Amino acid sequence: MKLKARGTQNTMIPTASMADIAFLLIIFFMVTINFEVDKTTVGLPTTQLRFEIPKKAAYISIIQSGQIRVSSGEEISVPVPGPENVLSFAVDVVANNPGKPFVLKADKNVPYRYVDSVIDALKQARAEVIYLLSEQDKLEEGADG
Amino acid sequence: MKIQRERVSDEIPTASMADIAFLLIIYFMVTTTFAATRGLDFSLPKDDQDNTTIVDKEESVLIEIQPGGVLVVDGKAMQLETILEYLKPKLERNPNKPVIIRPDQEAEYGYMVDVFDELRQAQEKIGVEVKNVSIPTQREIDMFWY
Repeated sequence: MKLKARGTQNTMIPTASMADIAFLLIIFFMVTINFEVDKTTVGLPTTQLRFEIPKKAAYISIIQSGQIRVSSGEEISVPVPGPENVLSFAVDVVANNPGKPFVLKADKNVPYRYVDSVIDALKQARAEVIYLLSEQDKLEEGADG
Repeated sequence: MKIQRERVSDEIPTASMADIAFLLIIYFMVTTTFAATRGLDFSLPKDDQDNTTIVDKEESVLIEIQPGGVLVVDGKAMQLETILEYLKPKLERNPNKPVIIRPDQEAEYGYMVDVFDELRQAQEKIGVEVKNVSIPTQREIDMFWY
């Protein structure tokens, strides 16, 4: 009797689906990625209430030394020489897109006079809403409730 | 002599596809930054001379913020946690009671945000909403403060 030759066992790890998994991950990252228009590093104030900021909002950032950067939300932020330039920037933004929200990304330790000049410029430019960018305030340990 | 023909594979080589995909993943993972995209909203008054409400200093509650975070409410030094308790009876009598936040020009911005955050939580903490919060700028104070 002729015996059938034994089938050889395949020793390869099946990797055909690896690319599918990887591309699914890529799609996830591409959908969730959020390109920051302002990469300034500031120590943000903390608040317990925080609301979602609309996408494409205009950004105004102030670092601790008082340096101000602006972005209309479409491009990377650029530094401006002084608060008077914020007014012309805000007027342009409001003229092109009335009702566009502004985000104030200011360092918590910055002297208020810088923030005051920016808020004043936004009021004069007839901006409607400002979001004060903040981080989530942690509940105090051992606090009641 | 027998010549062996080279066999041409009819499969598309996909072995390197996973490598390329994982390189792309690494790129996205390295470049992704988790941005803070939340904050406190603050509606600005319409710059309309006809509809602008002039708030009398005496009719309102004035919260002054001094450098170092010292809070002075209607002339009395106060802790952040006690502001809402102080405001509660006033807001119950007049739900539209104006509350003015006036930070010193040299006070740190973070303290202004703390006070604003506290006022925004009035509904949950004391059951009355602070409807009328204003933060006048130095220019407005120079022009209208009397």
